[in-house]
Amino acid sequence: MIQAIAPFLLIFPIVGALINGFFGRRIQNTGGPNKGELVSGWIGTLMSFAAFGVAIALFLALRNDYGPHIVTLFDWFNVGDFHVPWEMQIDRLSSVMLLVVTGVGSLIHIYAIGYMHGDKNFARFFTYLNLFMFFMLILVTGSSYLVLFVGWEGVGLASFLLIGFWFDKNRKIDGVYEGVLNSNASRKAFVANRFGDLFMILAMSLMFWTFGSMQFEEVFAAATHGFEAGDKSLPLILTLITLFLLLGATGKSAQIPFFVWLPDAMAGPTPVSALMHAATMVTSGIYLLVRSNVLLEIVRESGYELFGLVTTPELVAMTGAITALYAGLIAMTQFDIKKVLAYSTVSQLGFMIAAVGMGAYVAAMFHLVTHAFFKALLFMGAGSVIHGMEHGHHHLHDHGHGHDDHHDHGEADGHHVVAAAVHGHHDESSHDSAVVTHTAAAHDDHADHHVEDDFDPQDMRYMGNIKKYMPWTTTVYIIGALALSGIVPFAGFWSKDEILAHASFNFNGGDGGWIFRVVTWLLTAAAICTAFYMGRQLKMVFFGHERHEATYHASESNRHMVAPLVVLAVLSLLGGILNFPYFSEADATASLGHYAEPYESCGDGKIRECFSGGHGDSHGDDAHGDADTHAADDSHSDDAHAEDAAHGDDHSEAHDYGINLALEHWLEPALQSFELTEEHIVHLPHTAQSVQWRVAIQSTILAVLALCASFFFVYRGFNSESRKADDIDPLFTVPILSSFLTGMQRLPLDTLYMGVLRPIFNAFSWFCGIILDWDFYHDFVHEQLIRAPYLWFSGFVSKTLDRGLLDGGLVLGVGKLLRGFSGIYKNFQSGYVRNYALGLFLGVVGLVLYFILG
Amino acid sequence: MDEVTIGWYIALAAILFSMGALGVLVRRNALIIFMSIELMLNAGNLLFVAFARHLGDLDGQIWVFFTMTVAAAEVAVGLALAVSIFRNRDSVNIDDMNMMKG
Repeated sequence: MIQAIAPFLLIFPIVGALINGFFGRRIQNTGGPNKGELVSGWIGTLMSFAAFGVAIALFLALRNDYGPHIVTLFDWFNVGDFHVPWEMQIDRLSSVMLLVVTGVGSLIHIYAIGYMHGDKNFARFFTYLNLFMFFMLILVTGSSYLVLFVGWEGVGLASFLLIGFWFDKNRKIDGVYEGVLNSNASRKAFVANRFGDLFMILAMSLMFWTFGSMQFEEVFAAATHGFEAGDKSLPLILTLITLFLLLGATGKSAQIPFFVWLPDAMAGPTPVSALMHAATMVTSGIYLLVRSNVLLEIVRESGYELFGLVTTPELVAMTGAITALYAGLIAMTQFDIKKVLAYSTVSQLGFMIAAVGMGAYVAAMFHLVTHAFFKALLFMGAGSVIHGMEHGHHHLHDHGHGHDDHHDHGEADGHHVVAAAVHGHHDESSHDSAVVTHTAAAHDDHADHHVEDDFDPQDMRYMGNIKKYMPWTTTVYIIGALALSGIVPFAGFWSKDEILAHASFNFNGGDGGWIFRVVTWLLTAAAICTAFYMGRQLKMVFFGHERHEATYHASESNRHMVAPLVVLAVLSLLGGILNFPYFSEADATASLGHYAEPYESCGDGKIRECFSGGHGDSHGDDAHGDADTHAADDSHSDDAHAEDAAHGDDHSEAHDYGINLALEHWLEPALQSFELTEEHIVHLPHTAQSVQWRVAIQSTILAVLALCASFFFVYRGFNSESRKADDIDPLFTVPILSSFLTGMQRLPLDTLYMGVLRPIFNAFSWFCGIILDWDFYHDFVHEQLIRAPYLWFSGFVSKTLDRGLLDGGLVLGVGKLLRGFSGIYKNFQSGYVRNYALGLFLGVVGLVLYFILG
Repeated sequence: MDEVTIGWYIALAAILFSMGALGVLVRRNALIIFMSIELMLNAGNLLFVAFARHLGDLDGQIWVFFTMTVAAAEVAVGLALAVSIFRNRDSVNIDDMNMMKG
């Protein structure tokens, strides 16, 4: 059955892409604008749902047999002895990815129908979405690194097409057309990704050179075999391979050093941000590393240290952890609603990469899945807010300035944003200086500044109190934000906590070494940042006081947009049960409704029975039997959980089954390093044997504190009705006196905030934004280290090689040669009869001489 | 040695013919070209007469009359053309006569 239906995974999306690609415009323009759009959109959506159906069928088929199924589609190419068949590998790991990609993807398709309503290129958008789905499925199902690479490049292409989707926008920002900015962003993403791809190619070449194959199974088997046989050169080679794979993953999954493209990618339509740059495409790097778990574990086991410092798995963990914290810090300083989420995505991907580096592959996949749920939710919620703000802004245009009593708000913000509306870090970080300058001129010109095109519907400073106008969006957004922050019952808590617990356990009780210690601290700090910036965003967008007239006219988005949000909100709420802590069969009848129950019912002494996935060392002789039993017993419940989650149903049917660490049992057969650990060939870092209470409580408390802190500090004083919104920063109008006076009037805490914390925060954000991110990273690293040599090299190639040698020497040389010859020959064709006669005469003379003398 | 043999006639005819051919090839003036053509024709006539005398056959002498007739007709037509062109163009330079050139 798997053999029969697997190809349809690829067929459905590509058919959808072809239909919309060739006939989309015609479909879109027939039967009135709305109807045509709906037909075109639903073609794409149904194709996506069909792929989702196939994914579910595959998932069900894998319940009882977990071995990888290789589905050969056709022979791709044969070079000598090197045969590359086009094969799909369907196993439990890819089935999880398939469910996420097609499931979340389908919801986003529905959302896009509502979001892209009225766009003249509606059908083109759905063509690209389906095309992206097609390539993503190739990536996930490929049975070799080479096929994976095809999908890898394909999603890069789809990403490029979609980021630059609005390349023809002709609104001007700072004298540059927005369309140009959009296409610049798409090119940036494309080029940054190519850097990562270069390393992918290196990894694959090295793999082929060493093992003679790029098939997952063959490479892993060869590597294991070589390692067992004690091949001396193998650790070095595998270290290089995994290093290159890591660099490849940093490109696609937006980690240091290649993360810069992801925030810019927000130029694309919001469904794209949700689909690719949060939920699916960026996770392909995680998938790649999880897929290569055998190679990583062999390197870890061999202990080969790069430059004598770190092994590559440790490097992976460090990369992820540093990125997580770094991006988390930047996210706290952003004002663009989508950029906060973009940096948050970078940060969360860092968590996953760190988990992979620590050997917590299941935790990484778990976080990948839950993150897909709530980040897609957050992005689409943000899209809904943006939509509402745009609607409100249009309303303003149509109905004049609106109410008088709101005039002041608009006035202030119109000025406030003259400088700040410009995209880019400079402006976002320098917002406060803009505030300083605005006040003097603010009251002079009483024109309609507030409805000018400076309005940026994505700027959180324009928002505020949206909860009053968009209740549905607000509700689901809060759920998503809590899930991301890691507050207890929500999905994000379970997955993030599992990563933190793993890190913490290994540095407390394990033999992980200093790396785990550092990673734990970095990740904990990143988790605090996460809660803080999400709280800040909630406060700025949904709570407080309206700060722009457009907000008053914001309205709830249409059904196509809200419905997927609700589904994702349910998933974000319940996603945690995907990998619920182990729960013995006897307790299975207990209600699943209480999330804390598995912890509680385990009690004090029995904690060891409730261990979360103790496959680290509790296996012994009957390892295989163990795994088999698990597979048989758990398959039922695993499916029930995952399916429930996937469908967003209530999970009441699951009551009959026992709770297990569902995802871990599901994935275990697909991750060979588990098996190799049982055979004592490699040793996965130990997973926590008991519930890590300390970590769970500590991270929860920290998250709650950070959330509260953000609500307390951000826009402090602006949520009271008595304050006018144009008193944006009274502190800054008269730097010394005013701050003193206001300080006296305020509570001491306010003074503390205004006088100490706020400048510190500003300086800090300036540091993060200007020094760390913009000046150092963009200007120095990218301009000097990458751009300049690249320009020099391309100049060399183009001027010297191409124009000089190829054009001048070869192409023009041939031309010159021909012209020279023809210059001689053309004298014979002068057109003067006497010249021909001369020829004739000479010929006759020649003949005569020949006959006479010869 | 004192006798004028056929070789002398042939040599003279060859010289005359070459001069005529050279004139046709290198001169631009239509009239001079006509004269050069006459020179070539007369070189041929000289050979006809010389060989007729040498072979004791009158056929050659008769051919000369035909040649002279044709040459006269040719000159009549050619000169008429030259005059007509000169009227139009104030020139009998054959390089200027390129109206029919593609």
